[in-house]
Amino acid sequence: MINLLPLVRNECLKIIKKKRFYVILLILVVLVPMFTYAQMRISERSREKFNSDWRLEIQQQITDNQNSLSSDRIPEEWKTYRRIFVQQLQYYLDHNVNPNEPSGVTFTREFLDNSVNLFIPLLIMAVASDLVSGERTTGTIKMLLTRPVRRWKVLLSKLVALLMFVSLIVLSVVVICYLISGLVFGYTGFNVPVFTGFQINGDTVDMSGVHAVPQWKYLLMQAGLIWFVSVVVALLAFMVSVLVRSTAASIVVMMAALIAGTILSNMASAWTSAKYLFMVNLGLTGYLAGTPAPIEGMTLPFSMAVLAIWGLVSIIISFAVFTKRDILN
Amino acid sequence: MNDSKWTWRLVGLSSIVTTILLLIGFMYAVSDILYPKGETALTSLPEETQAPAAAADGYKILALGDSLAKGTGDNTGNGFVKRTMDGLVQDGGKAALVGNMGINGLTTAGLLDKLKEEGVQYAMRQANIVLLSVGGNDLFGNSGILGNNSGDSGAEIPEGASTPVLPETEEAGAGTSQHEVQELTPESLLAGLPAAVERLEQALESIVKINPSAHIYYIGLYNPFDDVEALRVPGNQAVTAWNHSVMELINAHDQMTLVPTLDLFGNHLEKYLSTDHFHPNEYGYQRISERIIQAVR
Repeated sequence: MINLLPLVRNECLKIIKKKRFYVILLILVVLVPMFTYAQMRISERSREKFNSDWRLEIQQQITDNQNSLSSDRIPEEWKTYRRIFVQQLQYYLDHNVNPNEPSGVTFTREFLDNSVNLFIPLLIMAVASDLVSGERTTGTIKMLLTRPVRRWKVLLSKLVALLMFVSLIVLSVVVICYLISGLVFGYTGFNVPVFTGFQINGDTVDMSGVHAVPQWKYLLMQAGLIWFVSVVVALLAFMVSVLVRSTAASIVVMMAALIAGTILSNMASAWTSAKYLFMVNLGLTGYLAGTPAPIEGMTLPFSMAVLAIWGLVSIIISFAVFTKRDILN
Repeated sequence: MNDSKWTWRLVGLSSIVTTILLLIGFMYAVSDILYPKGETALTSLPEETQAPAAAADGYKILALGDSLAKGTGDNTGNGFVKRTMDGLVQDGGKAALVGNMGINGLTTAGLLDKLKEEGVQYAMRQANIVLLSVGGNDLFGNSGILGNNSGDSGAEIPEGASTPVLPETEEAGAGTSQHEVQELTPESLLAGLPAAVERLEQALESIVKINPSAHIYYIGLYNPFDDVEALRVPGNQAVTAWNHSVMELINAHDQMTLVPTLDLFGNHLEKYLSTDHFHPNEYGYQRISERIIQAVR
């Protein structure tokens, strides 16, 4: 019996040697400054307009949203979204808390909210998609399987290494985002209160469960949810990389699924059974922020269950296929 | 070899620590979302925010009210608020917009609700000029002349409303629906007037209470149906009655001014009303803003 640990170690070193992880870090280091700059321009403009008075800004936002409610041309679900948004803004205003208090931590929080659906899954894919298919493309899989090691152990070691890197990727997104945006917005803001616990019923918000959470804790919770999402995406990408022979194909399959998810969640509110697709359920952090789910009837337990089932099934398929399949070519 | 040993240790250790941290966050998040514990007295309630000390010079304008305040019908989107500001600046004054809180379809009832909001009160305290436009929807909105586009501004049909509200039609289609309205009499238009005037009085009083130093300019109503044979006389009577009642309210306070607009539109509706035949167009708004500027300076 060969212990699993050396295998995992081997896989980890392979991921690092292939420089996939560095590519991810590089992507973050290049892209985050762009988002930071864009955010800086936005806050500069609103400062000019509202004399750096956030209350006036929020009130104007509320008025604008209320105005758009009276238009007949706006689809009903957008109205629902705006009605909820108005109530939340009103809550912040009533409690004298600036929801957009500019700081590195706030920027990171908003960035995470926006990147959970597509950006972070893409980063995960960069590592996960070629774990097995990469070995087949280069032919090294034969070397790997001729060793006196059971096949499931080889696959398991790859999976463990992948999960380790999933955690590291989520961490680096948070850390790099904070470090870079802090240069512009300042490194403070850990104790700013953020409201969570908005319970959405139809188009009204139940405020009875709303409570303030210090922003560092909110960030931790967000990161936890993103980690869960990332693990599921990693498992799926892993399965695809077992099934598909070439790395390119494996990346394309996953990308197509993810992008389809973002398109669907923008337009599929009428097709309710779309909620059983994993890619519609990726936005777990929305439940924390109190944004309405893309499809009626989706809740946190529901989304988590859907994601978990997809993840489990893909593990089973990966192992079943990998241990049975003949390695040709 | 030694190098990879350290990489492995570093990666292994940090990933384990990170995973544990993320798991904790995940648990927190799940329990927090599933069992939110509402705290009631968590933050200090909003303190009475006072106007910044630097606000001494220049006009600080706050617009409040219905679609006219918002500028509906003005193709440039400026409305009389922006035009008034520009006019004041052109004359060498300093003018800044605190906020434009005009909402399409706002009635006096909706205005009262709005004035209770902390954000509106806060903005009100910063202003020294309040441009108020309300009443049109009370008078015409429930008569069925307009597609009732009051939306969700909290507006309710006043108790006095005797005529039923027609089903919602598109705002732009309002002009075509005039032919259906024959039963319009001054009585039906004026049915809700006393109650609406009373609500306006409450609104004016609460504005004064929120900011006693601001000057309120109330934009008087005009008759958008002056060129419709059946509506001309009743419409003019109703608008005049309304403006008269408002004038009586305003007379009692020296920090309020009524800006008349009835004569501005009188026989020139074609020229100054927008295509929906109810709201002014850009020329109409320009004329209103000229009146306001005259009143302000």
